[in-house]
Amino acid sequence: MTTRRQFTALFAGTVLASSTTRAKAAAPRPGGELVFGLDGAAVVKFVLDPHNSGFAPHNRVFRSIFDSLVVLLPDQSLGPWLAASWEISPDQRAYTFRLRPGITFHDGTKLDAAAVKTNLDRIKNPANALVALPDIGPYAGTDVLDATTLRINLTEPFAPLLRNLSKTTLGIVSPAALAKYGDTIGQNPIGSGPFRFVSLSQGTEIRLARNPDYQWSPPNAAHAGPAYLDLLTFKNVPEEATRVAALRSKQVHAADTIPPQNIVSLKADSEFRVLQKELLNHNYTLHLNVARAPWDDNDIRKAVQLSLDIDTIVKVIYLGTQPRAWSALSPSIFASSQKELTGSWKPDSKKAAVTLDRKGWVAGHDGIREKDGKRLTVSFIDTQGNREKRLDVIQLARRQLARNGIELVIDSEPAGAYIRKATDNEYDLAAGSQFAPDPDVLRRLYLPDGRDAASVSKLNDPEISQWLRDATREGDAERRAELYRKVERKLIEKAYAIPVYVLLYTIAHAADVNGITIDTHGFPEFHSAWLGA
Amino acid sequence: MPYPLRRAAAALLVIFGAITLVFLVLYWLPGDAATLVAGENATAETVADTRARLGTDRPLWVQYGSYLGGLAHGDLGISFGTNEPVAARIRAQLPATLELTGFACLVAVVAGVVFGVVSAVNQGGWVDHGIQAAMLFFTSMPSFWLGILLIMVFSVTLQWLPAIGSGSLVQLVLPVACLGLAASGKLARMVRNSVLDVLEEPFVTTLRGNGLRESQVLYTHVLRNALIPVVTLLGILVGELMSGAAVTETVFARQGLGRLLVESLGVKDVPMVQGVILVVSILYVIVNLLVDLSYSLIDRRIQAAA
Repeated sequence: MTTRRQFTALFAGTVLASSTTRAKAAAPRPGGELVFGLDGAAVVKFVLDPHNSGFAPHNRVFRSIFDSLVVLLPDQSLGPWLAASWEISPDQRAYTFRLRPGITFHDGTKLDAAAVKTNLDRIKNPANALVALPDIGPYAGTDVLDATTLRINLTEPFAPLLRNLSKTTLGIVSPAALAKYGDTIGQNPIGSGPFRFVSLSQGTEIRLARNPDYQWSPPNAAHAGPAYLDLLTFKNVPEEATRVAALRSKQVHAADTIPPQNIVSLKADSEFRVLQKELLNHNYTLHLNVARAPWDDNDIRKAVQLSLDIDTIVKVIYLGTQPRAWSALSPSIFASSQKELTGSWKPDSKKAAVTLDRKGWVAGHDGIREKDGKRLTVSFIDTQGNREKRLDVIQLARRQLARNGIELVIDSEPAGAYIRKATDNEYDLAAGSQFAPDPDVLRRLYLPDGRDAASVSKLNDPEISQWLRDATREGDAERRAELYRKVERKLIEKAYAIPVYVLLYTIAHAADVNGITIDTHGFPEFHSAWLGA
Repeated sequence: MPYPLRRAAAALLVIFGAITLVFLVLYWLPGDAATLVAGENATAETVADTRARLGTDRPLWVQYGSYLGGLAHGDLGISFGTNEPVAARIRAQLPATLELTGFACLVAVVAGVVFGVVSAVNQGGWVDHGIQAAMLFFTSMPSFWLGILLIMVFSVTLQWLPAIGSGSLVQLVLPVACLGLAASGKLARMVRNSVLDVLEEPFVTTLRGNGLRESQVLYTHVLRNALIPVVTLLGILVGELMSGAAVTETVFARQGLGRLLVESLGVKDVPMVQGVILVVSILYVIVNLLVDLSYSLIDRRIQAAA
């Protein structure tokens, strides 16, 4: 068992430190309650409906409650999970899955072919407008062939489907619970995972208990059978200093998204262990609003890009704990161009200044460039605050741009006003990230009819659109990857996107806690976790 | 109209004014609740359906009328965000806020009066200067920073008290200290000044001339007179504590109305915001009513005047 766990950790590659080394001799001890300090941001509403939350902190809880049809393996290929096997038709429009028999939800009902169909139909229903809708693409319907066999039909080939099915957002929910709870399913989650939902205190705590019937962990899991822990409690501790304090004073066994300065000190402390793993992600990226002048001008965008020293920003703010991003897709995602694009451009404020002068943007009385009485102001729109130190990034960018006569102002808005302004193009710069195991995430940002109206990118480049459409239908993995690489290259070349950092998801835990793992997507797993004496 | 009735009518007017004002502000605030509720993948049609379901497509006065109608039946409505009854949600969050602000108020009053009196009695001495400096520190310190400092000292270094959560009394100590001490600074300065003022009054000289012991003069007569402005300040302080609770709740990862209100405002969850405002304004009115009544307890002459 131990060897297998080490084996998994070895192949995960990016796991930098792990409790597994210490667990070598000890046998797992069942029982007890693990308390996890979750960075849930200052959000009071828990939405524990996997199909309806794109918010990463909620998805970090989903993995414990819900299972998926397939599992994403460390080498980015897919392995069986709830589905024991599957076949794809030659025209790539029909996927036939054979489910493992005998799987039950926490409410005792069967997880069978009909249950999977109910889930997918629910997501497809436009009236529900669920977050997971883009994950199933051109879904046409599901045929239930027998109790454990189902066929998903598509209107056209959709290459991302299998990898999307491994996402937390396509976790399978009990149809009986969906019928019973309706709109409040997010407060009453029922899945088939290693832990069942017990209760929640809105905004502060989510309490789970072991699912004693659990026999269907994915084959790459550290152990088969039910979880070791009796209870698993997530406490939402939005303030980072408090989260670290709660860990250091042993009020929580583990905590996540540890601030950079504490990662450094906790790694050096023998009482704690630090786990880090890349979140498969569209990296946090700055997007100038190409739908608004003067950012529709390639040269002006390029001048902004060249005025920024991203290396320095990432080093100063993340203290070496998070790598710099060069491509839109994080390094481990299939088709990421991180390696190829590393060093592809350098900050060059002189060249940027020459361009801006040539375009008629000349320094005004206070040093900020002007043209026809209009100041060269970049209004950055934001609603998330300093999560992952993102506003600190923007503050440094503001100083760098100011040196070149470009003024950056931060427009912090409540969610409602943000969505309206982002939809109506009343901003110059927006930034964001989006977790995803498949490069298809590019389509959700850069294809005009593939994204929502308030998207951070307003790109409408016919060449990129065509590549993205082709890639979605392309069955050959290598040809598909090449299309995405072309997109990533052009995004940087034209300064449509300025990637900033690669997020390594970080958990710190007390040394006597064992077996917490981070899955290939970058979400925490507690199935094999246990507490030392 | 008799005094109690007049007071009750004024209180109702304040509550009515608060919810009406907030209703209007929410209505005119940019952003569409239906877009937020329907989600980013919603079609225009779904958003329109959601708008109809929430009732936000109706004219302002119809929405307002139906809200008041519901309120008259004791119905606070359903949250836009979580589809749960607003009343249930507030019932769940209210105890944590009441505990926090109630005890914080107690800490503020006890610390404020004790430090204020000690400071006044030792006017100009090192005790006075020390207390004044400490009170200035608590007043000017942002509460989130004070909170983190308290956590560092009492939770991480000394490991005496828990830093996070709500429910038990021991979890209350740090947040209450954080909120209460910050508020006690103002009170202590007020108590100090007003004790010093009263000490100057002729009746004090008379009392002393009559041979009363200094402690009797101070605690029976001077303090009673000095408390009037302090009690007035207390009424205002309760409002400040309620708003300060939002920050304290976040730092100490507690439940409470403060965080609920801030988040509900962000997503234009109108029924939830209205519900919280209603509860908070009722509490505020009750506290200020008690403040007014306590004047006459402290000083009999006030009732005669009213």
